[in-house]
Amino acid sequence: MFTLPQKESRAPTTCPGPATTQDLGSSCDNGPERECSRKPDQKLYGVGDPTATFSSGSSYLSSRGSIIKWFWDSAEEGYRTYHLDEYDEDKNPSGIVNLGTSENKLCFDLLSWRLSQSDMLRVEPSLLQYPDWRGHLFLREEVARFLSFYCKSPVPLKPENVVVLNGCASLFSALATVLCEVGEAFLIPTPYYGAITQHVYLYGNVRLVYVYLDSEVTGTDTRPFQLTVEKLEMALQGAHSEGVKVKGLILINPQNPLGDIYLPGELQEYLGFAERHKLHVIVDEVYMLSVFEESAAYSSVLGLERLPDPQRTHVMWATSKDFGMSGLRFGTLYTENQDVAIAVASLCRYHGLSGLVQYQMAQLLQDRDWINQVYLPENHARLKAAHTYVSEELRALRIPFLSRGAGFFIWADLRQYLSEGTFEEEMLLWRRFLDNKVLLSSGKAFGCKEPGWFRFVFSDKAHRLCLGMQRVRQVLEGKSQVAEDPPSSQTQEPSS
Amino acid sequence: MDGEDECDHGASQLAEAYTNTQSCQTDILLMPRGQKRGRGLRAQSICPQLLEMVLHLQQTMEECFLQLMTRYRQQDLMLEEQRLNLQQRHSQVIYEQEALLIRLMSQLADILQSRSWSGLGLQLPPCSMDTGSNAGGGQGAHSPRHPDQIPPLLSEFKTAFVIHDLSSRGEDISDFYHSEFQAYNAYHGDKYHEDNNTLGFINLSTSENKLCIDLMTKRLSRSDMNYIEDALLQYCDWRGQPFLREEVARFLTYYCKAPVPLDPENVVALNGCCSVFSALATVLCDVGEVFLIPTPFYGGLAFSSRLYANIELFFVHLDSEITGENTRPFQLTVDKLEQGLHEARLKRKKVRGLVLINPQNPLGDIYSQDSLKEYLKFAERHKLHVIIDEIYMLSVFDKSTTFHSVLSMESLPDPNRTHVIWGTSKDFGISGFRFGTLYTRSKAVVTAMSAFGYLHSISGITQHKLCRLLQDRDWIDKVYLPTNWSRLREAHKYVTGKLKALKIPFLNRGSGFYIWINLKKYLDPCTFETELVLHHRFLDNKVMLSCGKSYMCKEPGWFRLVFADKPHRLKVAMHRFCEVLQEQKEELTVRLLEDAQKE
Repeated sequence: MFTLPQKESRAPTTCPGPATTQDLGSSCDNGPERECSRKPDQKLYGVGDPTATFSSGSSYLSSRGSIIKWFWDSAEEGYRTYHLDEYDEDKNPSGIVNLGTSENKLCFDLLSWRLSQSDMLRVEPSLLQYPDWRGHLFLREEVARFLSFYCKSPVPLKPENVVVLNGCASLFSALATVLCEVGEAFLIPTPYYGAITQHVYLYGNVRLVYVYLDSEVTGTDTRPFQLTVEKLEMALQGAHSEGVKVKGLILINPQNPLGDIYLPGELQEYLGFAERHKLHVIVDEVYMLSVFEESAAYSSVLGLERLPDPQRTHVMWATSKDFGMSGLRFGTLYTENQDVAIAVASLCRYHGLSGLVQYQMAQLLQDRDWINQVYLPENHARLKAAHTYVSEELRALRIPFLSRGAGFFIWADLRQYLSEGTFEEEMLLWRRFLDNKVLLSSGKAFGCKEPGWFRFVFSDKAHRLCLGMQRVRQVLEGKSQVAEDPPSSQTQEPSS
Repeated sequence: MDGEDECDHGASQLAEAYTNTQSCQTDILLMPRGQKRGRGLRAQSICPQLLEMVLHLQQTMEECFLQLMTRYRQQDLMLEEQRLNLQQRHSQVIYEQEALLIRLMSQLADILQSRSWSGLGLQLPPCSMDTGSNAGGGQGAHSPRHPDQIPPLLSEFKTAFVIHDLSSRGEDISDFYHSEFQAYNAYHGDKYHEDNNTLGFINLSTSENKLCIDLMTKRLSRSDMNYIEDALLQYCDWRGQPFLREEVARFLTYYCKAPVPLDPENVVALNGCCSVFSALATVLCDVGEVFLIPTPFYGGLAFSSRLYANIELFFVHLDSEITGENTRPFQLTVDKLEQGLHEARLKRKKVRGLVLINPQNPLGDIYSQDSLKEYLKFAERHKLHVIIDEIYMLSVFDKSTTFHSVLSMESLPDPNRTHVIWGTSKDFGISGFRFGTLYTRSKAVVTAMSAFGYLHSISGITQHKLCRLLQDRDWIDKVYLPTNWSRLREAHKYVTGKLKALKIPFLNRGSGFYIWINLKKYLDPCTFETELVLHHRFLDNKVMLSCGKSYMCKEPGWFRLVFADKPHRLKVAMHRFCEVLQEQKEELTVRLLEDAQKE
C-alpha cells in the first residue's frame, strides 16, 4: 500500500545538474532533457538528450566513440566503486552491499543444480557450427511453447515469430535500429529502467520521449505514477510540436522500478492509443514470472484475446530476471511481423548466443515439472519473504513506498530526507549511502521527475539484506536529524 | 511457411531475372540516404525525370507481369507431372518476381508521394502510407495476385503490398539478409547427407572447418567443461570475465610469440569477431567515414561495416597479374596503399584506418614480417588505425610457411592505433560458439568497447568453457593442432590435385580453409554477370561456391572454394564441380563453332 508523502511535494528543479547514476550493470545517465510544461512546475513530457553534457573527445576515438566512452566513464561511478570494494561475508565484511542492481540472488542453488543435470551436458556438431541467426529451431519451438503456456496465449504461439539473442539490451538495440531512423524516438513513461536510454542510443541513435508520471493521485488516477492515455497523448503531441518523430511506445510490464502490473483493460487502452497513431509497441515482460504475490494477477500482452495492431506489437522476454541468470545472456523477441523478425535476425550476427547455451535453455524451458513444482513456488516464497523484510524495515523508518507484488525492488519515497527537493540533494543522499557502504539507485537514474525517490532491490540473501538495511537506517537516522534543523544555507555542489 | 527456406536454384534464365532484382536493389543501397527517398531533388527537374522513371517502371512492370503469367501457365502444366520440389521452386520464382514488382510499385509510389501532384495533373489523395497495413503484412503480401486486380490508385497499391514498419536502415538490413542468405538458407533446408539426402547441397562456400568436429565434441564433453558457479550466472564485467581475459592474454602471448607477456587489461572478449569489428568500427570511425581495405577481402566485413556501424570501406584493388614490383598475384604494396589513400582523399573521404586480414581471406596469403612492418608504418605516417584480423592464425597447415602475428613484433610503430582481432570460430572450428576477442593497447578504445560489451556479451557458462579450452595447452599442442593441420593438408592436397587435373589456375597457399581459383577460361565474355551465372550453375548442381564479386574482387572470374570438409562430401562436391565446368566448356565450344559458321 502506498502512503501519501508526508510533506508537500516540492517543485521539481528546472535544471537538473550533471547526474551520476548507479544502477549496476545497467548504469546510465539520462542527462538533462528539454522540459516542456504548461505551468513551470508541471512537466508533462521531456525529450531526452543523452549527450547534452558531453564535452571532450579522445584523439584515438571517433566522435561517437568518445561519446560512448563518456557514457561509460560518467555513469559507472557506483559500479566501479562497488567492484573495488564488494562486500564479502568472510573476506570483506566492511565492503559495499549492493541493493542497486536488479538481480535475483535468491535461487542460485536451485539453478546451479538444474543446470548441472546430465541432460544439460550434450555437445553435438550442429551446436558448434554457424547457427540460424534467429536461433536454433529447437529452441525457438521451445520458447513458443513456453510463452504460449505462461502468457496464457489464446492460440499457440509460433516458432517463426520467435527470435533468440543474447539478452534484452541487445533486443532494444536491434529493434531501435530497425524501427527508427537516426534521431527518431520512442515514448516511455517515467520512472523507467534507465539503461534503455543507452540500449537504444549506442548503435541506434534513437532517443526517448519521457511521459512524466506523478506520485500524486489526482484526477482520474487511482494510484501513484499512473499511466493514462491522456498523458500518452500529451507527450506525443508535445514531441510532435518540437519536431521529434515518435515511432513507438515502450512499456515495461511488470513495471521497473514501480513494480506495477498493468490491468488487461489498461493494456488494451495503451495498445489502442498506439494503434490510433500507428506506433509500434515494445512490451518488455522480463519480470512476468516474478510476480510473487498471489493476489496480483498478471496478464501478458500475448494473453490478450485480440491485439489492436499485432503487426506493430513486439514482446520481449528473457531468463535474466525470471530465472535469475543475468549472466547467461538469453533474451527473446516475439513478433508476428515477419519484416521485423527478419531485420532483427539479420542483426543477430552481432548478438549471437552459443549453440551449447541454446541447447541448455531449451532443456530448461521444457522442464515444466521442475519449473512449476520446484523453481517457481520456491522462488516466489523467497522473494515474498525478502520483500516482507524490507517492507517492514521501511515502515519502521516511516518511509512511504509502493508495495507491489512483482519484481525485485521497492520504489521508496525519501523526499523527507532531502533538505531541498533537488536532484543535487538526491545525489548527495545517494553518495551518503555509498559512503556508508550500501549501494542504491536514485530516481534520477530512472528519469523520475520528482527528486527523492530511490529503488531498493530486495532479492538478496537475508544476511546481506539485513546488513544493507542497517546501513540505510544509519544514514537516514543521521540525516533525518539534520533535516529537522532549519534548512542549511549552504548548498553543496555535487562532486561529479 | 518459410519463404527463405525454399531453394532458388531455377534455370539460369530465372537466375538472371533474380539477379536484376538484386542489382537494382544494390544500386539503391549504395545511394546516400537523403537521395534514396528522392526528396532532395529540385522541383524543376521533377517532371521529365519522373515521367522517364514512370515509363521505365511501366515497361519493367509489363515485362514482369508477362513473365508472371507465363510462370502461372507453366506451373499449371508442370503440376500434373512434376514433383513437389519443382513446384516449390516455381513458387519461389513467382514470389521473387512479385517482390520485384512490389519494390517497383513502392518506388513509384514513393516518387509520387514525394512530389506535388499538381504539376503532373494527377489527382491523388494525400494518403496515409500505413492504412490497411495489416492486410499486407507478413505472409499476406506474398499471396499471388493477378494483373486485373490492380487497384486504381498507386497509394493503395503500395499499402496493399508494403507495410511501412521498418526504418529505411531496417529495410537495408532486411535486404542484406535476403540477398546474402538466400543460398545459405536454401542449403540449410536441403543439406547433403550421405544416407538421407544424397541429392542435397554441399557447401564449399561457408568458411567453416568441419574436419575436427569429432575432436572438439569430445573435448567439450569432458567433465571440466561443466561447471556452474553463482558468478557465472550474474552480471559481469562487460569486457569479459577477468579469468577469461587472463587466459586469452596468456594464450595470445604464447601463440603469437609476443616478446613480453600480454596484458589482460588490453583484452576485450565479445560474442564473435563480427561483433568485435562492428563495435570497433563504431568507436573508431564516424558515420560515413572510411577504412581502407585491400581487395579481394572477406565480404562479411562489408556487412559489419554497414549494418550497425554505418561506415564505408574504401577499396584498394589488387591485381592478379604479376607486373613491376609485384612478385606474386594480388600483392599488397605500400604504393598501392598510398594511392588508395590519395584517391579516397580526392573523393573527400575521411580515412580513419586500414583493415588487414592475415592470413588473408580469400587469398590464403601470409604477410611477411617486413611487409607487415611497412603497412604499419604507412598507417603511422598518416595517423591511421590498423585493424588486423588474425582469425586464421593457427590454421597455417603448411609446415614450410611461418606466420608472424603483429603481436610478435618487438616494437609496433603506433601501438595505440594497432588493434588485433582473433576468435575461436576458425582455428578451433567452433563458429557456433560465438567468441571473438580484441587486443589493443589503447585504453580509450578498451573503455569505449566496454560500454558496448553488454550488447555483444558472452554467457558466463560459455566463458568458463572457453577458458578451459584455451588453457589446455597439452591437448591443443599434442592432439588438436597436429590432427587439424594434417587433415587440412590432406583435404587441400585432394582438391588441388583435382584443380591441377582440370588445369584450373589457383593460388597454392598453406593456410586457411579455402582456395582462390581462377575460372576465367569458362566464361565468355568474362564479366561479373557470367560469373554469377556460373555461380548459379554450381547451385543448380547442388554445390555452393563463393564468387569473386562477393569479395569485391575487381576482376571477374575468380571463385573461393572451401576445402575443409570431410573426404566423402569433398569427393561428391568436386564431382559436381567438375560436371558443371564440363558442361560450361561444352557450351562454350558449341557457341564458338556456331560463331565460326556464321563467319
